[in-house]
Amino acid sequence: MNRIAQGIVLVLLGAAALSCTLASDLYLNYVQAAFRPFLAAAGVLLVALGVIAIAVDLRAAGPAAADAAEEPDHSGHGADSHGHGHRAPGVAWLLLLPVVAVFVVSPPALGAYTAAGAATAPPRDSAAALDDLDEDWGDPSEPREMELQEFVMRAWTDQERTLAGRTVRLTGFVVPNPEGEGWYLARLQMACCAADAIVNRVLITDQPEPPKDSWWQVDGTWVEPEGDIQDIRDHRFSVAEMAEVENPPDPYE
Amino acid sequence: MRADPPPNDDKDSSVPDRSAGSPVRSSSLGDTIAGWSDREDEHLPPPDWGRPTGPRRTATVWLFAAFIALMGAGHAWLSDRLTHEAFLAWATIFTAISLQAMPFLVFGVALSAALTAFVPASLWRRVIPRHPAAAVPVAGVAGAVLPGCECASVPIAGSLIRRGVAPAAALTFLLAAPAINPVVLVATAVAFPNRPEMVVARLVASLGAAVVVGWLWARFGRSGWLRPPRAHHDPGASRWTVFRESMQHDLMHAGGFLVVGALAAATLNVMVPRDWIAAVADMPVVSVLVLAALAVLLSICSEADAFVAASLSEFSGTAQLAFLVVGPMVDLKLIALQAGTFGWAFVRRFVPLTLVLTLLFSFAVGGLLL
Repeated sequence: MNRIAQGIVLVLLGAAALSCTLASDLYLNYVQAAFRPFLAAAGVLLVALGVIAIAVDLRAAGPAAADAAEEPDHSGHGADSHGHGHRAPGVAWLLLLPVVAVFVVSPPALGAYTAAGAATAPPRDSAAALDDLDEDWGDPSEPREMELQEFVMRAWTDQERTLAGRTVRLTGFVVPNPEGEGWYLARLQMACCAADAIVNRVLITDQPEPPKDSWWQVDGTWVEPEGDIQDIRDHRFSVAEMAEVENPPDPYE
Repeated sequence: MRADPPPNDDKDSSVPDRSAGSPVRSSSLGDTIAGWSDREDEHLPPPDWGRPTGPRRTATVWLFAAFIALMGAGHAWLSDRLTHEAFLAWATIFTAISLQAMPFLVFGVALSAALTAFVPASLWRRVIPRHPAAAVPVAGVAGAVLPGCECASVPIAGSLIRRGVAPAAALTFLLAAPAINPVVLVATAVAFPNRPEMVVARLVASLGAAVVVGWLWARFGRSGWLRPPRAHHDPGASRWTVFRESMQHDLMHAGGFLVVGALAAATLNVMVPRDWIAAVADMPVVSVLVLAALAVLLSICSEADAFVAASLSEFSGTAQLAFLVVGPMVDLKLIALQAGTFGWAFVRRFVPLTLVLTLLFSFAVGGLLL
């Protein structure tokens, strides 16, 4: 890869990072919201580096230096000669793949396909991280918004079962249940990027199944299971009201 | 993105002797994009790519103009037609890994270029003990200070070696920095709120493995295995030129391999069903090896892997520890990056050595503490 190509690849890569952070919210499909300033800064740095590389290369190709700069490269791929003619290995062309992924494919956030196969293990050790529900709950009949992640964790770990009888509002997307009755309302939880997404879900059996991957806001209550709360495979949710929502801006929790 | 080429465009026209024999002579880049439709049969790369025929610089600019136009057309044409779920999930994960690693790579490369350009070589010789056996633990502990993930530590280790630091010490730093830096330890504490012993076990096992690998490399390693990272700049160049050139050089070398790693990790992430993994969770030794293998294959950033390990709660503490200790030191993304920076002869020896030691330390520390 010659030097001007390197410069242009850097600019394109930086442009991809900038366009999905500053020009749109596309980055939320892939990484945590907190990544935005870092991605944007990296994009600016890449664009600047690429523009300078292009400018330096073109100046070197000015009238006096034109012949010298156009030196033939006798190296194959990989090895690069020293000094100004130095070239990047062929593998650097792969840097265009993320550019294509962002500009051409612009893949959507992970959804039902991933949720159906992803790890569903609840964080059973995290009971201590929960606050007491009774504080600032207000009127128990008023639905309270709760992340699916929090709901599932409480359902699995709160031995006091304080969740019972409270009306909760959950937001998530529909995942079909291949092995039986009902369907799942699910939400993917992301620690850092979409590669580490894990799914939190509740089983809903008292409502007809909406289309897969559609987003819903459901008000209802936890179906208190008999027996040990930790032995339940999927906690059930009894729906009082449900309404379809536009995709939330940040698809992950 | 379409705004970037104009600067070279005016520069182009100021170069007089490029037009002879050029297929594109007087047109500007703007025309290129506008006139894209009649150039649709252009191949990427074209058959004469790499051959020194005529003014290649102009050809390169044209090629990229065609590429950008092709992306525009591809986006318009493909966006409604790409509906295959598995492909889209794969593309999302690939994009996610690439974008997530990008800031770390860029800033790691910037830091390593700054070390190369602005920190005099004599400083390293003063700070780090001359004898490799003494330098290795110092480098390991130094890794605990610098936040950053795998992608950043490889170029930094390369520049340390260039600055005359013993390779064994630089490699210990490479292993320790992503595994035990403060950000990673805090993330681990958050992911395992009731189990502070997990943080301690991770610190002890990772540091131990990194230091022992360093000592073994100092004792048995040969310099020929490690492709010497070249000083790729003119001796007389200004510091800023050195900084810029080494940053560009490292980005081009490490970046391409990072993409290779992201491709592999995304493929495995989509292809390996979690059910298979859960099925082995109850087997004592096998479960540890399976989670270690999973850490290698998934290539999750070390700042995030604790959350994934915590989610694999069917597994024993030792197996989760192996996931946390092996992952930051050996994974597909990292192997590809190391191959790009140090060469395959190095990877062939270093990676198995690291893998064995990380496993040994995971079993030992997991058995003692968890």
